[in-house]
Amino acid sequence: MNENSKESPDLVQLSEAEKKRLIRSTRRTDLRRIIGALFVIYGVLVTIMGIVDPATDAAKTGGLHINLWTGISMLVAGGLFFLWDKLAPVPEEDIVASAESVEIKKAEGEGKLG
Amino acid sequence: MLLADASSGIRLSLSWVDYLMLFLYFATVLAIGIAAKRKVKTSMDFFLSGRSMPAWITGLAFVSANLGATEILGMAANGAEIGMATLHYYIVGAVPAMVFLGLVMMPFYYGSKVRSVPQFMLRRFGKSAHVVNSIAFAVSNVLIAGINLYAMAIIIEAMLGWPQWVAIIVSAGFVLLYITLGGLSGAIYNEVMQFFVIIAGLVPLTIVGLHRVHGWSGLKESLMHTEGVSRLHLSAWQGTGIGDVTNPIGANWLAIVLGLGFVLGFGYWTTNFTEVQRAFSAKNMSAARRTPLIGAFPKLFIPFIVVVPGLIAAATVGNQFADGSLTYNEAIPKLIQMYLPNGVLGVAVTGLMASFMAGMAANVSSFNTVFTYDIWQEYIKPKMPDDYYLSVGRWITAIGVVVGIATAFLAAQFGNIMTYMQTLFSFFNAPLFGVFILGLLWKKMTPAAGLWGYIAGIVAPTIVWIAYLNNESLFGSATAETMYGAIWSFVAVIVVSVVVTLFTKPKPVEELKGLVYGIGTLDMKSDVVAGDAAWYRSPALLGTGALVLCVLLYLPFL
Repeated sequence: MNENSKESPDLVQLSEAEKKRLIRSTRRTDLRRIIGALFVIYGVLVTIMGIVDPATDAAKTGGLHINLWTGISMLVAGGLFFLWDKLAPVPEEDIVASAESVEIKKAEGEGKLG
Repeated sequence: MLLADASSGIRLSLSWVDYLMLFLYFATVLAIGIAAKRKVKTSMDFFLSGRSMPAWITGLAFVSANLGATEILGMAANGAEIGMATLHYYIVGAVPAMVFLGLVMMPFYYGSKVRSVPQFMLRRFGKSAHVVNSIAFAVSNVLIAGINLYAMAIIIEAMLGWPQWVAIIVSAGFVLLYITLGGLSGAIYNEVMQFFVIIAGLVPLTIVGLHRVHGWSGLKESLMHTEGVSRLHLSAWQGTGIGDVTNPIGANWLAIVLGLGFVLGFGYWTTNFTEVQRAFSAKNMSAARRTPLIGAFPKLFIPFIVVVPGLIAAATVGNQFADGSLTYNEAIPKLIQMYLPNGVLGVAVTGLMASFMAGMAANVSSFNTVFTYDIWQEYIKPKMPDDYYLSVGRWITAIGVVVGIATAFLAAQFGNIMTYMQTLFSFFNAPLFGVFILGLLWKKMTPAAGLWGYIAGIVAPTIVWIAYLNNESLFGSATAETMYGAIWSFVAVIVVSVVVTLFTKPKPVEELKGLVYGIGTLDMKSDVVAGDAAWYRSPALLGTGALVLCVLLYLPFL
């Protein structure tokens, strides 16, 4: 089972335009942006709850304005996700490598490699 | 005042804002599934994310896959019932195993290019052991998914008032959607998102809880005045002397270290494909090795937002646990009900929902891989084009979820039998570690020894368990029984494997390249990328750091 397959599959060559499009579309839906957006929206909602009705907060928690604190923390966390995404985007070669190795992955999926 | 609103079950009153957050969460789950779908072109993309994931994602998914509903609620329940001894499940019972996986075992797993843990069994020990392992894994995972689904439905019914079948269908339905669409990437990306939402829900709960009991010292103070709680609840190691066990965990330190830490911990974290699969999806050897090591750090801090709330519940509503009006599993929902105002309440409920789905998705996404590659491709329909296996994967995901749902409804009918089955399944992992570690170190160990050692390792703890069911005085607690059962399982594996090896024929050495320590060389560097060499990405450093933290975190709770 472990003989290295001689007819090893080739990489698919992508044109520059295809690569560009692939990189752009992959980065647009980066997981960090999705989580960041969710946290920012939650943060806004929770902060508003804290501003609108601070008395209920304090009554339930024994004096802690937990909605305000949690809301602001989630806003900051959401912002950090966006910052992280901006500072360290997914490397271009990772995105391209995955697309170019389609044939290799097919062979591996068929149990022909390894 | 503290107990003023601690009556009337765990029903929550959600406002429209809380429901809006729940709705946004479900929408995000689907969006992630759809985004992941665009990258699914081959069966490898579907089952192993095309081996393309960066280490921070696989590392967080590694922890999150284990953060299921039964885990969070169950560990908080342990916190309320046995106290800080629950830390053992997070420290000695998890982190050494994760470090061992990253430093020692992952090079064999990832380097041999196997697509699943059962496939490693196949390479090292041949078909008989592989068949038993694959079927045991596939069957137990689907049924565990169903049993957890039921556990979740009970809690959701109690918290939100949804009928059980609505809770089951909604959460199973979403898991089905995002896995059939995005495959393992859909599951993993969601696990990472779920991880952060779970944290965002549990941190405020812990803060408010601690504030309510006047901080850590106040918590200690009020625990001392709680019925059935002693100083030993605040300590992880006191009362675990051999022959002098007074700790509520009911086991001595040797059983904790060997049973929980060595056999159960290593069995679960190093050979359970549900976990290890996350590392298999990493983009290269370096990222695969770092997966469990990165996961170890959040793992070490989770007890502070799970076990501590359990202790807070023991201190504040201990009387309700004592008189039976509240079960220990309801510790976290009860605190949510008592302490969280609308707003944060929505985040916490969403966090619990996220943990329910993370656990189930992890079971389903590892089940479909083992079923397709190890059972269907290996024994039923080999040599088909890749597209065929991709579509088998999607179909079997749907079938697996449906069987899971059916199991959940069965569990609702026969609750007790299901608890027994769950215990039975827990016997499948521990022996796997014994078989693998012996097989990794000892090139003479034969295929027959692998098979019979594995089976003996399942049978031995089953016998111990049945003996315990018949005579409960054998062990200090059910928890202690699992630790001793695990030790017996390991002993059975080693003894039977050695004996069988003496009488059977080993595999030729050239077939063991890359599967046994010291035979052939493991290629650790061929796929390095820029940045892997950074000092903070060194597996040895990360592993050592995690182990040092283990010791440090025990110190305040000796």
